[in-house]
Amino acid sequence: MRLHRSFLLIAGAAGIALSPGVAAQPVAAQSPEQRVAAYRERVDRLEDQAEIENLTAMFGYYFDKGLWDQAASLFARNGRYEYGQSGVYIGRERIERAMLLMGPQGLAPGYLNNHMMLQNVIVVAEDGRTATGRWQGPMQLAQPGANGQHAVGVYENDYVKENGVWKLAELHFYLTAKTDYDRPWPQGAVPMEGPSALFPPDEPPSEVYRSFPAAYIPPFSFNHPVTGEPLTDLPMAGDDVTGREAIPFEPADGSGPEAESGPAR
Amino acid sequence: MIRHLLSVSAAAITLAALGASPVAAQSAAERLDQLDARITRLEDMNDIERVQRTYGYFVDKGQWVPLAELFTEDATLEIGGKGIFLGRDRVLEYMQTAFGKDGAKEGLLANHMQFQAIPDISEDGRTGWIRARAYVMSVGWGLPLYENAYEKGEDGKWRISRLTGPFTMYTNWEGWAEYGMNNTWPDKFDPPPDLPPSVVYLTYPAYYIIPYHYPNPVTGEAFLPDMGEVGAYHRPPGNPEQEASMEVGRTEKGTQPVAQPPRD
Repeated sequence: MRLHRSFLLIAGAAGIALSPGVAAQPVAAQSPEQRVAAYRERVDRLEDQAEIENLTAMFGYYFDKGLWDQAASLFARNGRYEYGQSGVYIGRERIERAMLLMGPQGLAPGYLNNHMMLQNVIVVAEDGRTATGRWQGPMQLAQPGANGQHAVGVYENDYVKENGVWKLAELHFYLTAKTDYDRPWPQGAVPMEGPSALFPPDEPPSEVYRSFPAAYIPPFSFNHPVTGEPLTDLPMAGDDVTGREAIPFEPADGSGPEAESGPAR
Repeated sequence: MIRHLLSVSAAAITLAALGASPVAAQSAAERLDQLDARITRLEDMNDIERVQRTYGYFVDKGQWVPLAELFTEDATLEIGGKGIFLGRDRVLEYMQTAFGKDGAKEGLLANHMQFQAIPDISEDGRTGWIRARAYVMSVGWGLPLYENAYEKGEDGKWRISRLTGPFTMYTNWEGWAEYGMNNTWPDKFDPPPDLPPSVVYLTYPAYYIIPYHYPNPVTGEAFLPDMGEVGAYHRPPGNPEQEASMEVGRTEKGTQPVAQPPRD
């Protein structure tokens, strides 16, 4: 943090305007003003990432405790909220009501709604206005009158900076596995619920998939950190119910697709 | 938080920014070089954490080809008690042979959730280290640690140059109060390793402390775990010698041993 404040002060004192693209030049060819501008951008991106990380973690702490009003307030004006196969709710007011489907505002006794958020990979756009973030989401759940549940999923969120403040443009939680507390995954697997009939979503699920025991890979928002290649079309078993075809594994040696990753059954 | 700090006085900040050398003795270029180095260090720590987290996402879904691409060509990999694998090709072979061909498979859960990383970067900015952990939700629960090394290539990309993942605890669905799984060993499953394990240790209810790549952050002293004190006994669970060894290396108010001996 010491770096950030000291750096910004130097940049501010020099009164230097941003000049994108300077970073491409060799350092020796750059004027001090150009260097400061380039460093300022790099620090801006680090700060953006830190703020997005905090925003998301703060959402999680509200969500855990059923503070739906606080959680919904973190969305952008036309923010989108999608949880599992429940469909998409748009706008803060609709999002808050959708969250009430999970339990009352301020969790009632007997509820446990822990949605831990970790392992984030945040990518801030070069212009610093939008960002994406993938998070791992293990969960500990309980409701009165029912046994506890273990669960896990992946968040693929979009962020937008509105009036200098980072907000959730879209929170999309891909629940991937849920099970009874006392039973192994295969035997205790609990399927996802569909869209609510009581308070229907604004849009159907953006992606139809089944959670465990079905195979599913939530799409990656970021590219491979070493090769830079997009992480799409990763090998994955198919799904007979949703009709999704298998993406077979094709070894680099050209021996052809592997049958093991073929369609389910 | 960063914005709050801007209100700190200019004089104090300028001094803080410039490190060891007196301000007057430094040219603008030198000061900028120092800034560049410090920003780069933050970016590098960020990058190695990103590589480690991406590794976790690939393990979750059995994506062994992109996983192997996270490693340097001459990387080493050692997980549990399985021994050491040499080179990126062997990393790929290990994963594909031990855990099946690439792909997310129906009925398989292998989540290796990554967190609590302590990243560090060498003075020259070419080497990085992370101590971290994973919480595994798979056929049971598992807790590996990591003490990994990373290298920055000529292309500016960080890669894993050494993955060392000792196991803390693996258990089945009965939970760790009831059941503790033995550490793995070199011929437990294929493929065989290139080198034997760097250290032989037992997992929960015993424990082993993999050395820390960093000193105590407050005292600055290196902490070297003493093998004699960490309960890394060598007898298999469930026999009298092992029972006796449970008395070795326990802290007075430690949590060990567990209520019941493990079953094999």
